[in-house]
Amino acid sequence: MISDPAVQWAFLNIFALTNTYQEMSLFTRTNRELSIRIDEFFDTIEIGILIFKEGIKAYVNGDGNAFQNHLSKIDDLEGKADKLQRSIENDMIIHSILPQQRSEMVKLLWQLDEIMDTAKKSLMEFYVEKPHIPSSLSHEFISLAEVSGNAAEELVPAARTFFREPHLVREKLIKVYFFERETDKAAFQLKKKVFHEMDDLSLAEKAHIRYITHHIETISDTAQDAADMLASMAIRQML
Amino acid sequence: MIFLFLTSGLFLGWTLGANDASNVFGSAVGSRMVSFTRAAVTASVFVIIGAVVQGAGATDTLGRLGSVNAMGGAFTVALAAALTIFAMTRAGLPVSTTQAIVGAIIGWNFFTDNAVDTGALTQIVTTWVTGPVLGALFAYVLYHLVKITRRRIKVHLLKYDNWLRIGLMTVGAFGAYSLGANNIANVMGVFVPSIQLADTDFGIFTLTGAQQLFFLGAIAIAAGVLTYSKKVMQTVGSSLLELSSEAAFVVVLSQALVLFIFSSSSLSGFMVKLGLPPIPLVPVSSTQVVVGSVIGIGLYKGIRNINLRLLGSIASGWITTPVAAGLLSFLLLFFVKNLFGIDVGHSVRPPVATGDGISTAQIIRYSIPALLLITAVYLIYLVLSENRKTERMNKKYYE
Repeated sequence: MISDPAVQWAFLNIFALTNTYQEMSLFTRTNRELSIRIDEFFDTIEIGILIFKEGIKAYVNGDGNAFQNHLSKIDDLEGKADKLQRSIENDMIIHSILPQQRSEMVKLLWQLDEIMDTAKKSLMEFYVEKPHIPSSLSHEFISLAEVSGNAAEELVPAARTFFREPHLVREKLIKVYFFERETDKAAFQLKKKVFHEMDDLSLAEKAHIRYITHHIETISDTAQDAADMLASMAIRQML
Repeated sequence: MIFLFLTSGLFLGWTLGANDASNVFGSAVGSRMVSFTRAAVTASVFVIIGAVVQGAGATDTLGRLGSVNAMGGAFTVALAAALTIFAMTRAGLPVSTTQAIVGAIIGWNFFTDNAVDTGALTQIVTTWVTGPVLGALFAYVLYHLVKITRRRIKVHLLKYDNWLRIGLMTVGAFGAYSLGANNIANVMGVFVPSIQLADTDFGIFTLTGAQQLFFLGAIAIAAGVLTYSKKVMQTVGSSLLELSSEAAFVVVLSQALVLFIFSSSSLSGFMVKLGLPPIPLVPVSSTQVVVGSVIGIGLYKGIRNINLRLLGSIASGWITTPVAAGLLSFLLLFFVKNLFGIDVGHSVRPPVATGDGISTAQIIRYSIPALLLITAVYLIYLVLSENRKTERMNKKYYE
């Protein structure tokens, strides 16, 4: 009989690892595929936000063709993000991946998808309702969409970082909070200008602009909510 | 007849399997990182191997405390321990198989007029304290290492999750092996002096009489794991110990290391070779080592995360369990001997009025103030370090 317990232990351990190898290799494959899909999801969100910004720019500048183009692209991307989100969620449940962080992870993905939904809805509203944007507001509208989109755009690298270096997430989120505040300021200035200075606009037009502004603002608000969640998830990972 | 007497030991083994397997795989199963079936089968196999291969060391120490020299006595001692565990668990009091069996053996010593080997008792009692303390220390250091390593290698969270699954299975198997090696003494230790079985040659290896008893005991533990531990595992994993997967990995590893240290005769011999004192081979409570390890994790995260009541429950278990088991053992031995006329053992080492060993009273006199002092110093240190840590965290996250 082998008398050294250390040798015995090493021998037994090999047995245990061989025994579980099959299941673990399955996990490895699923996890690899899942991490690729999560990256793809983030890519989709990132591109979607860029297209949203370009779409608003095109509408405000009166470039109907470009706007149509961006609208159909964002529609496709939103559908793709939805599919990816659902498949990631399903795989995490079926294969019991990250069982303890799963509910938060699912919520985070949902929030990111919500940003995409809001971006698409905003462009859709421009298309359906055709709001009248006076040329004197062009700059304000474009910069509002820019800063609101930036808040969401900065969230994506932070979410990517969470998976590899959770201790760096907070640094990345600073920009999200910064752009969210800038969005609030820009929206406030825009609404103030509309209601206090632009007497030539009817009340219905003013209310319409206010409504559209609010929609664009929502993107950065959702990004901020997701950032809060990401920050708490990162802190928990570090403890 | 032997099997009839062994039933109490087997019952004790079954309760140990049902309860203590959760210390090894509870967190992994509760967090759904490992399936119950896989955990139970692995735990059962490795508990049996650990008990048969390495169970002798801790059993010798228990034998020195009180060599129960009649089957009736061994049956009654094991029954007293099992009933104490049952009653205290029902009453919701903290209980450990190790402390129950030690108390029951001391009860037998008193009943049969045998002297308590104070050297062995000191060794055992010291280990009750050092077990959880070592568990906390190992957990603290290992958790720190895990955190540093993770930060350095920048592994993807999903890959890390996969590594943790493999890690939990591996350290779980190691933990089950160490549990079998260390705790089989509680289950079968009292029967070893009174039941002499012939060695059995299986061709490639030989099982001694004691190893055959350990095998039977380990089968009972495995039965406990397979039949009754599911609920306990799920409770431990999901409610009592709210641990992350990596913390669970560290807790199980540190528990396995502590149990291995206190049951490895090779390691003890190695220490002697190095000119160091040998490691006492003593059965330790796996539950208390786990609680110690969880406290170690809590210390790493900050004192606010520690449930100080857990510390109190460990300390109270050191006294209440052996006392209750000892009294019950004495009472049961009286009935078994006088009511049923069964031989429960005889005196081979009568107590002497004056001895050069350390008395129980002396142990208590020195250990309790020492413990209080250590706890007080440590708590002061924790409060100070926690304040510093909170300041640092606030600065880092909320400024």
